[in-house]
This record gives sequence, C-alpha cells and structure tokens, in this order.
Amino acid sequence: MQTRNVVTIFRKEMTDTLRDRRTLIFMLLVPLIAIPLLMLVTSRLMISQMTKAMEEKSKVVVEGAAYLPGELQDSLFSAEKLEVIAAADYQADNLTDEVREGNLAALVIVPEAFEQAIELESPTDIEIYYDEAEVESKFAVDKLQDILSPYRDRVVELRLQKRDIAADILKPFAVSEYNVASARKVAGKLLGGVLPYIIILMCFLGAMYPAIDLAAGEKERGTLETLLVSPASRGEFVVGKYMVILTTGVIAALLAMVSLTFSLRYIFTDLPQEVMNKLAISVDLQTAILVLMIVIPLAGIFAAILLSVSIFAKSFKEAQSYIGGLNMLIILPAFVSFLPGIELDYTLALIPVVNISLIIKEAVSGTVEWRYVFTAFFSTLALAGVALFFARKWFERESVLFRM
Amino acid sequence: MLLSNIGLDMIEAIKLCKEFKDKKRGVIKAVDQVSFTCQPGEVYGLLGPNGAGKTTTLRLLSTALKPTSGTARINGIDVTSDPQRVREQIGFLSGNTGLYGRLSAREMVTYFGKLYGMSTEQIAARCDKLFAMLDMNDFADSRNEKLSSGMKQKVSIARSVVHDPPVMVFDEPTTGLDVMSSRTIVEFIRRCRDEGKSVIFSTHIMSEAVRLCDRVAIIHLGKIYREGTVGQLLEHTGTDNLEDAFIKIVGE
Repeated sequence: MQTRNVVTIFRKEMTDTLRDRRTLIFMLLVPLIAIPLLMLVTSRLMISQMTKAMEEKSKVVVEGAAYLPGELQDSLFSAEKLEVIAAADYQADNLTDEVREGNLAALVIVPEAFEQAIELESPTDIEIYYDEAEVESKFAVDKLQDILSPYRDRVVELRLQKRDIAADILKPFAVSEYNVASARKVAGKLLGGVLPYIIILMCFLGAMYPAIDLAAGEKERGTLETLLVSPASRGEFVVGKYMVILTTGVIAALLAMVSLTFSLRYIFTDLPQEVMNKLAISVDLQTAILVLMIVIPLAGIFAAILLSVSIFAKSFKEAQSYIGGLNMLIILPAFVSFLPGIELDYTLALIPVVNISLIIKEAVSGTVEWRYVFTAFFSTLALAGVALFFARKWFERESVLFRM
Repeated sequence: MLLSNIGLDMIEAIKLCKEFKDKKRGVIKAVDQVSFTCQPGEVYGLLGPNGAGKTTTLRLLSTALKPTSGTARINGIDVTSDPQRVREQIGFLSGNTGLYGRLSAREMVTYFGKLYGMSTEQIAARCDKLFAMLDMNDFADSRNEKLSSGMKQKVSIARSVVHDPPVMVFDEPTTGLDVMSSRTIVEFIRRCRDEGKSVIFSTHIMSEAVRLCDRVAIIHLGKIYREGTVGQLLEHTGTDNLEDAFIKIVGE
C-alpha cells in the first residue's frame, strides 16, 4: 500500500464528492437548515397547541349545578377559562358520550344531597368525567380542580375551627424539595435525548451518498474497470474511498451538532434564563471535541459497511434500496438516547451505536465517565478496523467487482 | 525503444482459462485454453458473437481478472506473478467506459497519470501533447458531463494513453457509439499501430475487423477456432467475405 496513491485517490474523490449536489444537500443543507427548521416548526406547533388548550375556554356541563352551594356556583359560572353549562341547557342524549366524542371537555356530576352532606359532615363526592387522551380535556379537569380544591380547603378549615383545632394539625411536618441539578444538567437532559440521535443519523446520511457514488456509481458509469487496470492496488482504492466517506460522515455529524445546539437555544426561548445561558455552553469546545472523537470510529464502521454494500450493488438504484433497509437497522440503536433511566455500564459500552449514543448523551449533560468512554471508543475503533478489513477483502472478489 | 522490439511477442497468451461459478448453470468455462501472440505495430482482433469470451480474455490480459489456469505475458511480464507492473504496460478502453462527469478532461487525465506513477510535470506535458493531438483544447477544462459524445470519446482516449503504454487493449470500443465517434476510435487505433504499439481489440462487427486487423482470431464459446490474416481465413474457408468464413469455421 502506497500512501501516495491513497492520497491521490482521496483528493480526487473528495473533489468529485464536493461537486455532487446530492452529497452537499445531505452533508450541509440538511444539518444546517432542515434540522433547525424542523425543530422550530414542531416545537412552535407544540407550544401553540398547549397555549391554545390553556387559554381556550373549556366547555363543561355540570349536572346538578343547583345542588352546589351558591358560593361555589358563582365561582364556577364566572370562571374565566371555563364555559360552564347547566345540564338542563345542554341538548344531548348521553353526556358522557359527548365527552368521549370531544364535544365537551368534561362533565361534572353533583349529587342531590351535596349541600346537606357538607353541612352534616357526611362523605359525599363530585364526579368529573373527562378524556385522558385529550390535552384539552385534561386541562379542563385542572381548571375545575382549581375551583373545587380551595372550596374544600375552606370547608376543612371551618370544621376544624368549630372544634377549636388549629389548622396546622393537618400538616405535622413539611416536606421541602430542593433541586440540586446544575443548570447544565437540566440543559443536558433537554439536549441529551435529541442530540445523540440526530448526530448519529446525520453521520450515516452524510456518508450515504458519497458511498453510493464512489462504488456503485463507478460501476454504473463504467469507470470501475479503468481503475482496476490501473497500477494502484484495490486496497489503495478501498482506503482512499473509505477515508472520503468517513470524512463526509464526520462533517455532517459535526454540523448537526453545531446547528442543533444553536437552534435549541433559539427555540426554547421560554426556558429560565439560567438554563438558556448554560444550554449553549453545554456543548462547549471540550464536549464538542469529545463528541467528535467518539463519532470518528463510528463513522469508520458506517463507511466500511456502506462501501461494502455499495460495491456489491450493480447500480446506484440498487445500492440505494439496500442502504434504505440498512438505515433502519443501523440507526435504530441510536434511539436509546431517548429512553429515560438507561445508564452506561460496561455491557452497554460494548454495544456499537448504542454506546456512542449514550456517551454523547452523557457528554452534553456533563456527566462523562471516562472508563466507559474509553471502552466505547476502543471497541468501536476495533469494530471499524474489522469492518474495513472485510471491505478490503470484499473489494478483491471478482464476483463482487464484476457483478454487473 | 519500440522499434527494437519488433519481432518480439509483446502480448503472449498461454493456454488462458477462466471459469465462473454460476448458481443455475454450474461451472462455466468463459475462456478455454486461449493462446495467441501479438507483435509491436500489429493489430490483433478477437472476433466473435456476444458471450464468446472476448471481454473475459481481455480482462485477463489487463489483470482485471485472474486466470483460473494458464497465463499471459505482457512485454515479458507475467500477469499472474506481477499484475501491478503489467498494468503499467497497458492502456485500456472499452465501449462502455464512462467518465467522471463532475471532473474536467484535464483533471481526469491528471488523476490517471498520477495513478500510473507519473510526476506532475510529466502529466502536464503529456496533457498538452494529447489535447493538441486530439484537438481537445477547447473543452479540456469544462466538466465532462457537459460534453458531446464525440468529445467524451476523446477524453476517454486521452485517459487511456496518458502513460504512453506499449500495449493497447480495446474491448468492443465502438459499441454504442455514433458514426463520428466510431471514426475517432478507428483513427486512434491506426495511430497506435503506426506508433509501434501492440493493439488487441475485440469486436463482433465483421467489417471493423476487416478494416483494422492485421490478424484475426475467431472466438466462440471461449475457444479460439482459428486465427490468421483475413485473407488466410477467407482462403481456408473458400468464401469471399468474413461473415461466411466465420459461420463456416464455427460450424466445423
């Protein structure tokens, strides 16, 4: 293997690749523009739906409103965010069905003897029917509780007063919670789920088109044979092409990281200022370098697999369909970063893709454990080496190269 | 240097065999005991229908494939023991050879020049010479994807001879080309011969073989049935055109 030839091949393929519009779209445009845009749109959509559900008046029917004490009736019917209708004024066969179908946010049923029961201090209950699957319905319940709870508290207070008991008796001790998580960790958790997945996905997508073009593309254009009869060895072609694919994968991953960090900062503008400030810092230079270091061997695995699949395919199209299927298999393990409560251990640190995903998650939360980083790094590197070795062997098979 | 080689066998195929394994048909002998020689300044034609084994034979000579048994020597170098050095001796061009669309002719020729171990200065000088000879200066720096098919053919030619090899291998070089591009190729083959290169080329077009070849081998089902000058083949079969001669020889 001559370095000179590898460099020649690398430089030619890099020039060629950087002139390819498809590669540029996946390597630059998607991470820099499409991802932030997508996040912006979805988060805005989510926020606007939430606020809509919060702000909008929830339609609630109260059956037996007349049985409520006047004070409670007043606060219910005059509630700002509730449109309370007495059951008598609402035309429907079955009120619970109305809730189920989404025509009503909630249904409140007050028992006939409610007021007497309060007076006599005997147990009674108000029933609320709602739809757990609907945000609007759940908000309506919250709003109803906001009105009913203070009233109940006052009833309790009155009963205690009557018996000359201090209200404190109900709270023998207080439980105070103090949040010790650093703002960085909070920010990290926010980024932690999304960032690893997107970085790994983009690493794969960024490497995909160059890989197809550099191997299956050579077959399709009829240029492969001219390479095979040139004095550069097949191993030199594999390594040169492999390096180009690896590079594009790493660049795409890096750009995804940068653009995600910055776009999150401008998307979640309603977070506390303290968290916001740390959000940008949570991917500081040190973290970025760590992520980069750990992504390189992963890109090495991707590049070797993509190159092997691509050289096997007879055409661009065939390579695309193989890789489409592969996509799921390789990217799915990266999803682990979204699962809460999964902590790295030595076993997980040895599972390819999963380990990198979890380490990126920890890196942005600032809770890196070096022993796992090293385990993951070297196991991935070893795997990349094995994959490259097989890609080289694969490239020497006539049945693969001349599969036309 | 080339003139002193006249009379030597520049290309020497010795009982070349190539077998492929096919899932449905079992072992296929694509090339079966093929032997021939070709001298400097000679055009040797492999004539046969599609699937006769022409392309495989040429791939064995150019070391793209390894022979199952037998061997070949190019300029005295063995294809099985030293394929790397054999490749330096050969220029290769086939009808379906493509170009890198996003590179220019100059970039592409330079790339191959480097792969053939040439220095930057050597490559630059060679580009100047080839582009002038092939009348390519007007488009040598535009991207290949924007060129006409005739222009593309010239880029392919320039690529194949960047290292000025003593042996040229043409695999069905005119297949799929229009009249003008075919003509460019035919002229180029003649020029190679005049420069004293050994040229081997495969075709299924009889008239092309008649026009270009000093000697022709009739190849069918992986075997060479007969070889000689076109005149000798006609005489042997008692026919007056190569097509009839071909049918007769294969039928024997």
